[in-house]
Parts: sequence; C-alpha cells; structure tokens
Amino acid sequence: MDNTTAPYKMNKAFGKSLLYTMPMFLITFIFITGGKPDFSNVPTAIAMLITFLGVNILFFMMHYTGKTDRFRAILFIAFALSLSFTLISNIMEMRNSMSFSQADILECKIPFCHLVIPMMIIPAAFTRSIIFPGSIIGGFADIASMVVLWLVASLVLGRGFCSWGCFYGGWDDGFSRLHTRPSIRKISELWKWMPFAVLFMVVLTAALTLVPTYCDWICPFKAVTEFEQVTGVESAIKAGVFISLFGGLVVALPLMTGKRTQCSFLCPLGALNSVSNKVTPFTIKIDKLTCTECLKCVNVCPMFALTQEGIKSGKVSIFCSKCGKCVDACSRKAIHFGIKGIPSGTMKNFSRNLFLFVSFLFIAVFSSGTIINSLQNILKLIF
Amino acid sequence: MTDSFILGISSGSACLVTCGMAMFPYFMAGSAGVRKITFDLSVFLLTRLVIYFFLATLAWYFGQTFFSSSVLRTFIPGILYIAFAVMLIWYSIDRNRKKVCPAKIITTVENKRLVPLVLGMVNTLGFCPALLLILTEGTTQGNIARSYLAFLAFFVGSSLWFLPLPFVGKFKKKKVIETIGILATGLAGAIFIIKGITILIGGILNG
Repeated sequence: MDNTTAPYKMNKAFGKSLLYTMPMFLITFIFITGGKPDFSNVPTAIAMLITFLGVNILFFMMHYTGKTDRFRAILFIAFALSLSFTLISNIMEMRNSMSFSQADILECKIPFCHLVIPMMIIPAAFTRSIIFPGSIIGGFADIASMVVLWLVASLVLGRGFCSWGCFYGGWDDGFSRLHTRPSIRKISELWKWMPFAVLFMVVLTAALTLVPTYCDWICPFKAVTEFEQVTGVESAIKAGVFISLFGGLVVALPLMTGKRTQCSFLCPLGALNSVSNKVTPFTIKIDKLTCTECLKCVNVCPMFALTQEGIKSGKVSIFCSKCGKCVDACSRKAIHFGIKGIPSGTMKNFSRNLFLFVSFLFIAVFSSGTIINSLQNILKLIF
Repeated sequence: MTDSFILGISSGSACLVTCGMAMFPYFMAGSAGVRKITFDLSVFLLTRLVIYFFLATLAWYFGQTFFSSSVLRTFIPGILYIAFAVMLIWYSIDRNRKKVCPAKIITTVENKRLVPLVLGMVNTLGFCPALLLILTEGTTQGNIARSYLAFLAFFVGSSLWFLPLPFVGKFKKKKVIETIGILATGLAGAIFIIKGITILIGGILNG
C-alpha cells in the first residue's frame, strides 16, 4: 500500500491564489474579531492573529499548490487537539477532574457532541424529550446549535462533515499519518458496514432504554474529553471499553493501517453522514477517459471509499468523506472534486474552488473559536 | 427484557441468513401469492412462540432447581453468558454458517402443509448461540412471568426479520441488509460478553 502522495508544485499564479483567498480573508476576519479588533488583551490578540493568519495561509496554499488534503489535515488535526485541550482545561477548572458525577448529569452540565444525534431522534419523537443531559440552548456546546450546525453541514457536505467538520476526526486522521508504511494492508470489505450495524444497535438500544448508549458505553473519545466517574463495576467496565476502543481504533489501528479506522469501522454518525452523501451537491468524480487505473487513489483513501471495481466503473462509494487525499494522489487529475449534474472530467477547477470555499469556510468558522481559546491558554501559561 | 429484545432483533438477521436459503423456497413456492405466504408465515411464527413459552418454563424451572445458592446464580450464568456470547460472535463471522442450517430437514417432509410447522420447530430448536443466551437469561429470572417476558421480547425481536419475507423479492439491497444484520449479531454478542463480565466481577466483589 503506497501511502505517500506526490510532492506538490506551485501550479497557480500567486496573485490569482491571493484573489481566491480574499473572500475567506474577509469572512474569517469578521468572524474572529467580531468586526472590531481589540488589542487590549495581549494574549487574546496574539491568539486571534495566529489563528487568523494560519487559517488564511492554509486556504491560500490550497489554491497556490493545487493540493487539498495536507492543508485540510493541518487545520483538522489542530481543531481536534485544541478542542480536547480547551474542553479538558475547562472541565478541570470546573470540577478538578476529567470525570463527571451523577450530580453533573442531573444538572444537565454535560457538553453535547454531534455523535449523540442519531440516538436522540426516536426518543425525541415519541417522548418529546432529549435523552442527553446537556443544555438545550445557551451555555457551552448546547444541543440546539450543535444539531443545526451538523444538519446544515451534512446537507451541504454530506460525509464531508467527517473530514471538514467533525472535531474528533482529527485524532485518527493524525495517527493514520504518523506511520507511512502500514503493517496491515489487507482488510475485509465487510467491516465497512460496521458503522451501520453500530448505528442500528445504538439507535435501537437508545430508543428502548432512553439512554444515549453510544456515549454511555462505547464512545472512544471520552478518553480525550470527559467520562463517567468510576464508582462501581459497571462504570469501571465502561472505562475499560472506551480506553480499549481509543487505544485500538484511534491510535493503534490507524498507525498500523494508515486508515481512519474509528471513522470507518465504528462511528455511527459516519454511517448517517454516508447516507447524506446521497443528497449533497458535492461529490468526487472519476474521469474514466483520463484514468489509467493505477489504483494510487484506492491505496491512499483513508475511509475505504474507493475500490478497484469502483474505479473501473467510475463510481465512488457513499463512504467518501471528500478529504481530497485521492485527488492529491492522482498525477493525471483523473479523480477530482465535482458537482452532481456536471459530467466528470469537466469544470474541475470550478467544482474544486466552490467545494473548497464552502467546506473550508465551515471548518475555519467552526474551529477558530476553539483554536483561539487553546492558544490563549497556552500563551497565558507561558507568560 | 430490553436485553432479550436486542438479542432477538440483532440475532434474527443471522438466523434468517443461515436458514433463509432453506426456508425461502417453501415460503415462496407455488402461485398462492402474498395471502398463502402470510398464512404459512403466521403458522411458522405461532409455532415458534409456543415453543419459546415452553422453553421459558423449562429454563426458569432449571434455574430455580439448580441455581439454588447465590454463588451458583451469579457465577454460572456469568460464565455461560460469556461462553455463549463468544459463540454468537463466532457464529456471526463464520463463513460456513449456511452449511449448518437445521431447516434443511424440511426436505424430508412429504406433507407440504406441515412445512411451516416443522420449520417453526427446527428454527426455534436449532440451538444457535442466541437461543442458548436467552435460555441463560430465562434461568436467572426471579419468577416465571419474567421468564415468559424475556422469551416474548426475544421472539418479537427475532420475528421482526421474518415479517418482510412475503415481500422479500422487492428488496434491492438484500446483501447489504444481510451484512449489517450479521455484524449487529456480533455486536449483540459483545453486549452479552460485557453483561457476563459485569455479573462475574460483581459476584466476586460482593463475595
């Protein structure tokens, strides 16, 4: 399995790339500063400036080099790390521990995350209540804003949410990049359907027990956010389960396979987002006239979305998260970002620019607050 | 009861995939159409329900008789849950699963009217790991009504997979649904392993 991508060359004029970056520059400036830059607090101002420049340099580089994935990944991984850092430091400040107690659950003080969404739908429809102990509106990570954000992103990006919006995906994306020569190369196609089985089971169990069972028992990201206080046998086993899943699916397997194994084999929201790939206007297309079937794209795909048969028939599966790794790997530009309804092989640049603007704007706006917070905390620690 | 329903609904798919090839021709045979298939399916399901109630009684009686001490009541079901759950996971990933279908016996039944009845019997008494797990669940129940409820929940969960049988020809993504169902069976096995471990550790800690 060749996990390396071709070295990039500067393929666009500096001025043209700068022009593409200008709208992003303006929007992120308004979003980050609120339209009124305030330099009274030095650490905050420095954090804002670093984030603002960093985000825009990455977007500029995407246009200037013509490469997508490596610059997306920098922001995506920074987002995941900064979210965990911010969340843990906030929680430690509040509770002096990463674990939450029954009192925190009763007071609905648990920050909401998008992975709960599939489990709340049936109970919400039948009982008119939310089965997650978080705040519905207002406060940190409230339910309403997270649901709206996910819904909009999923309708626009489809499973692209998993590579451009999910604040956990950066963990296994990061680990999958650390080892360039994977030791496990052959993985059965069967496992690709596991997230759907997990989705089926957690939706069912949540509907029957009115408990968000995925968060309660499975979610591996409790290891880098917060978890239930260990008070008995059951909570100790729960801790064992999430620590094993984090170690196995987020750290070890991505290192051994070079793939995003947690996203590909476990995440129930990923399964739901795969279905939303059917409605999104953006897609990855294969130009069969240019394609030589070298299968570089199949080898680098971190989500098992491309297969040899798929390449032959010019089809990308619903598992595609539009990370752009395959597009970057193809030296003939046979695989490219596309828009549904536009034939493959045509309007490649227009489709890419449009997709990049929408998806990058989403991750830039979504992640900048968290990154600023983390930088601010780090700067405060240093000075 | 929730565990039993989850076990039923998740393992029902594996059961259908295992015996589906043996059962489909009989349910689909002839030109009687949806009405005949629905009648046969009802006989098949009713047979299963009656046998499950019989097994619920047996399991509860067995539990009351042999698991008299609290030590036995804790450790044996705990160990059985883990063993049968491992078997269930193996059963879900075993590629030779289709070769062991007990429903193949119906090829020897000459009276075709008896086929749904015989199918119901062999399908229920096939002693697949899911049935062994629900039998274990039955032995741990405090009273017979709870044992009936556990088996009823298991029956309802597993039967949901048989209901679309009359319309099975209209499904386009049968293979995908089968695959997801098989994986869900494995996950149900994982749930019961955790249940077994919880019972065992809880038993050890509580003496």
